[in-house]
Amino acid sequence: MKDLSVIAPLYNEEECVRLLYEAIARVVEPLRLDHEILFVDDGSRDNTFKIAKELAERDKRLRVIRFRKNFGQTPAMAAGIDHAQGKILITMDGDLQNDPEDIPRFIEKIEEGYDIVCGWREKRQDKLITRKIPSKVANWLIGKVTGVAIRDNGCSLKAFRTDVIRAIPLYSEMHRFIPAMASIAGSRIAQIPVRHHARKFGKSKYGLSRIYKVLLDLLMIKTVVSFSSRPMLCFGSMASLAASGSLLTFAYTIAWMNRNERGSLVVLIGTAMLLGALTIFFLFAGVLGELVYKTGNLKMNTLADIRASFTGFETLRKEG
Amino acid sequence: MESVIELSVIIPVVERYDDIAELYGLYKKGLEDSRHSHEFIFVLDGDFGEVLAVLKRLIAEGEKIKVIQLARGFGEATALTIGIQHSSGNVILTMPAYQQIEAYEIPRLVESLKDCDMVIARRWPRKDSLLNRIQSRVFHMFLNPVSEFKFHDIGCGVRVFRKQVAQEVHIYGDQHRFLPILAYKYGFRVLEVDAVQSQKDTLQRVYSPGIYVRRILDIFSIFFLVKFTKKPLRFFGILGSSIFAVGFLILLSLLFAKVFQGVALANRPILLLGTLLVVLGAQIFAIGLLGEIIIFTHAKDIKEYTIDKIIN
Repeated sequence: MKDLSVIAPLYNEEECVRLLYEAIARVVEPLRLDHEILFVDDGSRDNTFKIAKELAERDKRLRVIRFRKNFGQTPAMAAGIDHAQGKILITMDGDLQNDPEDIPRFIEKIEEGYDIVCGWREKRQDKLITRKIPSKVANWLIGKVTGVAIRDNGCSLKAFRTDVIRAIPLYSEMHRFIPAMASIAGSRIAQIPVRHHARKFGKSKYGLSRIYKVLLDLLMIKTVVSFSSRPMLCFGSMASLAASGSLLTFAYTIAWMNRNERGSLVVLIGTAMLLGALTIFFLFAGVLGELVYKTGNLKMNTLADIRASFTGFETLRKEG
Repeated sequence: MESVIELSVIIPVVERYDDIAELYGLYKKGLEDSRHSHEFIFVLDGDFGEVLAVLKRLIAEGEKIKVIQLARGFGEATALTIGIQHSSGNVILTMPAYQQIEAYEIPRLVESLKDCDMVIARRWPRKDSLLNRIQSRVFHMFLNPVSEFKFHDIGCGVRVFRKQVAQEVHIYGDQHRFLPILAYKYGFRVLEVDAVQSQKDTLQRVYSPGIYVRRILDIFSIFFLVKFTKKPLRFFGILGSSIFAVGFLILLSLLFAKVFQGVALANRPILLLGTLLVVLGAQIFAIGLLGEIIIFTHAKDIKEYTIDKIIN
């Protein structure tokens, strides 16, 4: 096991690869840690892979993962996390907008005992209308819904303890919600300001997704996180809602019959029975949910188990 | 050189089959022209006594054929998967148990694999009846927007692919048609190559209604596999909540009429419709939620990417 892995997903970044590698190496070398740099080529169509490969041939500490095709930023991050060998993982953008100079401060925070360190872009160099405002709104929403105020969910520069990040499910476009989910599970999170540079090369490729996607994902995370740990309870409460609707309708029907009014009984009884059927459906869905949760390999308390704090580096640094 | 098998030919026998001895002769001839060392594997998906007898006779005559007999019918995709597990070549060629393309096209198809991962044959020009062509056209019209790749003849069982494709793309049951679609989704390079259609493949075919229903279900499941496997709640959630909303509006207007206009609820059959929609919407949403919980709790097992190479 190494001490540190720096992960950067790359998608059509031929101008940046070499600069990025040099910038990271320049910062990481003096730390005297056993480190690796992990580039994940997300199916680039330009020379990104070729250049990265050349660099990797000269430096064994640079590893390059090449995807078959473009799968997106979250899968790229997930692949990096799956294949990293370090105890601490640093993730960053592949487009040089993050500054590797910030890395040492992240490591310090992890050594202080935090599980996750998130950067927030102090002076963000992006377009105001298309990038900054939607991201402000998204951050505010995510904070409101999850109850965890993360200043800048969209900033890729983050540091994780490997065992913590590996316990968090990462799929679809979840990378934006890592801190929120981790904190729901009880991780200690620190936030530090980072430098942010304007794009030097090319266009922005992973455009901040439109707000509706964030909204949907957010809703999903909220429901799933609260549902997945105790499905029976949640489906049960939905069932009781339907049951009370059914009972109310029945009561209304009886009262209505006593008043001897004219009209069809079928409609009211039918309504009550439909709601009754929904009650039963929810109960069975809850049972199914329990079953899924039991057979699944994610338990929210696995995160609690690995809360034992950071054990420190083993190599190199001692002599220094 | 002789001992290394380059190409494994897998012929699943499912439902429809021609004279196997003749078919084998034709395929063998076609393969000998391609000058790759090869092996033949027949997978009998269920009880095909007649075919088994023919194959046994061929083996007795000294032909090198591997025969796998499945205990019962599991479906063509399962038969293929089992055949592939028992194969030793790095390149797999699947051929149907009936003639779809002329056997002399085989070498060209195999050669086409050079710089891609999967070659699928397209029967072109079509010689079969207008009805067949229309059926196929309609099917692909619905399929292609879903599959994100312009397939013309997904029903052709002649496919050449690297073994790796089969190792990463898992199919079962009746999903053999999906193989190219899923392979493409997983990032393999797929190529469609025109091949001359066999004269024997030109019979007009009208299937039982059940088959058409199955094809429609196929499209639906591909749609789900390609677009929403990882986010069931997006699909079910939107569908469920819109149905729920319609039902809810109906109920709201009924309540309004009851409270302010004094219309008795019992006289409004539309109350049933409103409730029904609310119930249906809630159920669809709940199913989406269950799906999402499945993905969420199994996310560590599901890889959302396929890796081409790792350096160092």
